[in-house]
Amino acid sequence: MESDWAAEHLQVIRTLMERSAIYRRALAPIMMVTGSLGVLGAAVGLLAGIGAGRDFVVFWMAVCLGAVLVAFVLARRQALKDREPFWSPPTRRVTQALLPPLFAGLVLGLWAALVGWGEVGVVVLPIWIMLYGCAIHAAGFFMPRGMKLFGWAMIVVATALLLPALFRIEVGAAALRYVAHGAMGFAFGVLHLLYGVYLYFTENRKNAP
Amino acid sequence: MNPEPFLQIDRVIHEKGRLAIMSLLAASPQLSFTEMRDTLNMTDGNITAHVRTLHEAGYVAVTKAFHDSRPVTTYALTAAGRKAFTTYIDLLEQIVRQTRPQ
Repeated sequence: MESDWAAEHLQVIRTLMERSAIYRRALAPIMMVTGSLGVLGAAVGLLAGIGAGRDFVVFWMAVCLGAVLVAFVLARRQALKDREPFWSPPTRRVTQALLPPLFAGLVLGLWAALVGWGEVGVVVLPIWIMLYGCAIHAAGFFMPRGMKLFGWAMIVVATALLLPALFRIEVGAAALRYVAHGAMGFAFGVLHLLYGVYLYFTENRKNAP
Repeated sequence: MNPEPFLQIDRVIHEKGRLAIMSLLAASPQLSFTEMRDTLNMTDGNITAHVRTLHEAGYVAVTKAFHDSRPVTTYALTAAGRKAFTTYIDLLEQIVRQTRPQ
């Protein structure tokens, strides 16, 4: 039919325009390093006896800051290796998508650290994970390979962490410390590692540093 | 059927490789040579030839610069290129509408 080629051309144009807007840096190394930092953070938090109050908030904000810096360095290295500008339009889109929930998480953390939240400082934990999940999901609109699903996984973990409060399950201070660091280690460590391994075997590795 | 849209189709854009380049650039303010090559899976020679044609038609602007002491070539649609691309899509849509069963 005469219009077939025209319709096919329009479909090709649409696909290419979508592809042009997608962030294409290799995410596997970033995910695996971030995951390793998350697991390491949980181990250090438990071994150093960091409590579930203000110390918990400050400690995990430091871990997150470290992870963000490492991710930045890895992405920049990939851009330099490919002789491309780091601050490309897809990078800008992803950053813009990530920023509002991450900023909200930062404000929440700073507030909890400065005002003090006593032993309930751990309450920031599910909110942090939920905000992070929202950030990842938003960025997923400009990233390939199940990033939105990964965001949902974070939101599900955060929801699961809210269930004990819903059913008024009492957790002792010592146990709370284990639960808090364990949850952070699982969400920011294990989940990132698993996703990183998946990406390692599936994504194009030409961008890997 | 009105043959007018067929006759108005821009032959510079209509070629498969050049259409792909125009589509990528239409969705992004600018793209580097590497980004374009990797996205389209085209050879360096192909990209260069098609971009040259588009540049000569006034549709694509080419910028050569140095980024961390390395040469980087970036491409962007010109105003004329964007207009030509929009017109091309409008014509395709007209053709699809004309031949679609009512």
